[in-house]
Order: sequence, then C-alpha cells, then structure tokens
Amino acid sequence: MSGDLGPVADRTTDAAGGSEPTGRGRAAVPPLSDDTRLAVVIRGLVERGEMDEARDRFADLVTQHQRRASRIAYQYLRDAAEADEAVQDAFVKVFSHITSYREAWPFEVWFTRILINGCLDRRKAQLRRDRWMAGAEVSSADEARVSAAHPGNDPEHRLLARERRARIASAIDRLDGRQRTVFMLSHYGDCSPREISAMTGLKESTVRVHLFRAVRKLRGLLGAKT
Amino acid sequence: MKALESLSRHLPDERLLDACLAVRQGERPDPPVAEHLADCGACRVRYEELVQVMDLVRQEGETEADAVFTPERLRQQQLQIARRIEHVGRAARIISFPGRFVHRTMTGSSAPSASRWVAAAAAAGLFVGAALGASYGWGARGGFTVPGDRRMTPVATRGTSPGEVAADDAFLSELELALERPHTRELRAFDALTPHVREIRDSQ
Repeated sequence: MSGDLGPVADRTTDAAGGSEPTGRGRAAVPPLSDDTRLAVVIRGLVERGEMDEARDRFADLVTQHQRRASRIAYQYLRDAAEADEAVQDAFVKVFSHITSYREAWPFEVWFTRILINGCLDRRKAQLRRDRWMAGAEVSSADEARVSAAHPGNDPEHRLLARERRARIASAIDRLDGRQRTVFMLSHYGDCSPREISAMTGLKESTVRVHLFRAVRKLRGLLGAKT
Repeated sequence: MKALESLSRHLPDERLLDACLAVRQGERPDPPVAEHLADCGACRVRYEELVQVMDLVRQEGETEADAVFTPERLRQQQLQIARRIEHVGRAARIISFPGRFVHRTMTGSSAPSASRWVAAAAAAGLFVGAALGASYGWGARGGFTVPGDRRMTPVATRGTSPGEVAADDAFLSELELALERPHTRELRAFDALTPHVREIRDSQ
C-alpha cells in the first residue's frame, strides 16, 4: 500500500466547518448553489429550534448528494458496508454541526471534506485490521451485484470487465495518498482543482501537480492493456 | 509568441490534462491549446488517448459503485440517516429508576421509620433462628439414641426360662460348629471325613 494518507485540511476546526480554508483566496463570490442555499435554510431552522422542519429539508440535501458521496466512499474504501457507514456518518455529522456551516464555500465542498476525513479514518482502521487479518478486496456479494449490473453480457465479457475493474482498482490503490485523494475527488467527485484545493487545503497548483502525476502513473500502470 | 510556440512544439502532458479537465467541467480549454489540438494530429491523438483512459477509469468506477449502491440501498441509507438524526438536538432522557430511589431515601420523614422496620425484622429473624437452632440442638443431645444401641439391648435381656436356655445352648453350639468349620470350599470335604474332637467327647 502506498504512503499513508494525510488528513484533509485542518481537521480540528474544519471538520465541522468554521475556519477559512487555506487554499487560494477567492476574489469574486459566485452565486450560491441550490444545495448551499438549502444548507443555509436548514441552518436557520436548526438555530430557531424548528428541528422537524430542518430534518425534512435535510432529507432533500441527502437525496442530492447521496449517490455522489457513495461513489466517492466506495472508491476509497472498496467495501460497500464501510462506504455505507462512512456516508451515513458524514451526513449525521453535517446535520449535527450545521450551525457552524458558513456559506463562504459551497456546501458540496464542506460536505465532501467531512466525508473524505471520515473515509481516511476508516481506511486507516482498515489498514490496521489488514495487518492482522487477510481482508477481501471486494466482498463476493458486492462482486455479484456488480456482475449482475450487466445482465445482457456473456460470461466472457463479464469476466473481462471484472478483470479490468480489478486492474483499475489496483492501479488507483498504488497511487500515493495525496495523489489518490486528488484523483478521486476529481474523477469520482466531479470536483474542479479549485474545489479540491478548498477541500484539501492544498494550493491549486499543487492539486494540479498531484493530479497530473496521478494520471501519468495510472496510464503507466494500466498501459496499453486498457 | 504563445501561438508561435504552440505551432513549433507539441503540447506537454500537463496542458493536455488541463484541457481534459476543463472540458469535463464544461469549460472551454485555453484557446492556444485548442488551436494546437486542432492543428497538430499527434497531439490530438495523445489528447484522445488521455480522454479515453480517464473516461474508462471513471466509467468503470461509477458502474461498479452504482451496481453496489442500488436505488433500494440508497433508500435504506436515507432511512438510516433520518433515524440517526432524529435524536440530534433533543435533550437526553433521564431514566427515572435511580432518581426515584434516591429521592425516597434522601427526603421526607419516612426514612427513619423504614430503617426502624428493617432493624425490627432483622432482630425478629435472629431470635426465631436462634430459638429453632437451640431446640434442634437440645433434642439431639437428650432425646435421640443411636440405632445400634437399640438393636443390642434385646439380645442381652433374652431367655430367662429353662427351655429358652436349652434352645440358646443349641443355637450357640450350632454357631460354634459353623465357626469351626473351614470356610474354604475345598476343605469342606476333608472336614466332613475327619472326626471332630467334640463328636468323640460327646459319644463318650
């Protein structure tokens, strides 16, 4: 396994928002996105003590971000149950600390930062466990579900697809910790280098360098086989 | 200058990746890069290769995750989240049992009377226990006899009439005979053939 992953940004204060990220300063404030506006509304409801209404509105926020969060968490942890729990924990943490959310950054950035920190903690725990126990990369039930996602394909195609997925997963796993984080946020989280910079606390230029190195390494690892 | 540069040299990988990311984010790539890609076939091929690899990695990852996180699973996840946040912001519930117990013992004038009742019950229990224990001990010492003693007593007081005395003698001589007879089965035959001293004495 490649070098250990450093925590994302300043975790002591930023896990629940509050402090300004250390990325490049933002010259112009873009208009608030829908989810950011919704988060601000929920924050207001919680501050006024209207918890039931806040919970109802929060369900919309969960619906908006759930799939993307699950993709990121799954790619990080490679375990459906762990990823599920990581996503749940992130949403619960967001709701618990919604009063400390500041709309200086989009809600997506804030939420993803919390999610990634949770995933990093879980991944560390996974690595600790794997030192003592032989862990499976992907559970057979998950693999069966993935195979069943292409019911029309014949077994040979499915086998090839499975091998390709395993090769890609192995290549991503061999990336350096920061490279992997940046790559995943870019590819599975649909984040721009600027947003990744805000999430990770790295400079935008550093994010680009990590991303470039990650892609170069991946291309080398995957080679012409893809 | 930049335009000249773009015409004279191939684009570095970093620029290709930037262009790839920009297109993915729905933005336009840098005009010189776009211009170069339009003109240079080699760079276009490299760019397309890069896009292909990126798309493959992304597509495979998304397909895999979406197959695991089915709509049903996501719905379950949503329910779980809703259940977990239900208690956020609510005051913790106090369990009444220890509080009530402490309240009863710490307040009011009933506490001394309760302790008095407990002391009285303990004393009564002690008295009854001591009384029962004592009566059992005395009974054992004064009234009970060992069963073996009882069996021995009638034997010592039996047979006072002459008939009974003769019967007793016969019984005892039988007993004596039995005792004198060898107990080993193999010797009994010899014993039967051999005359006894008592038989000779009796015949005289």
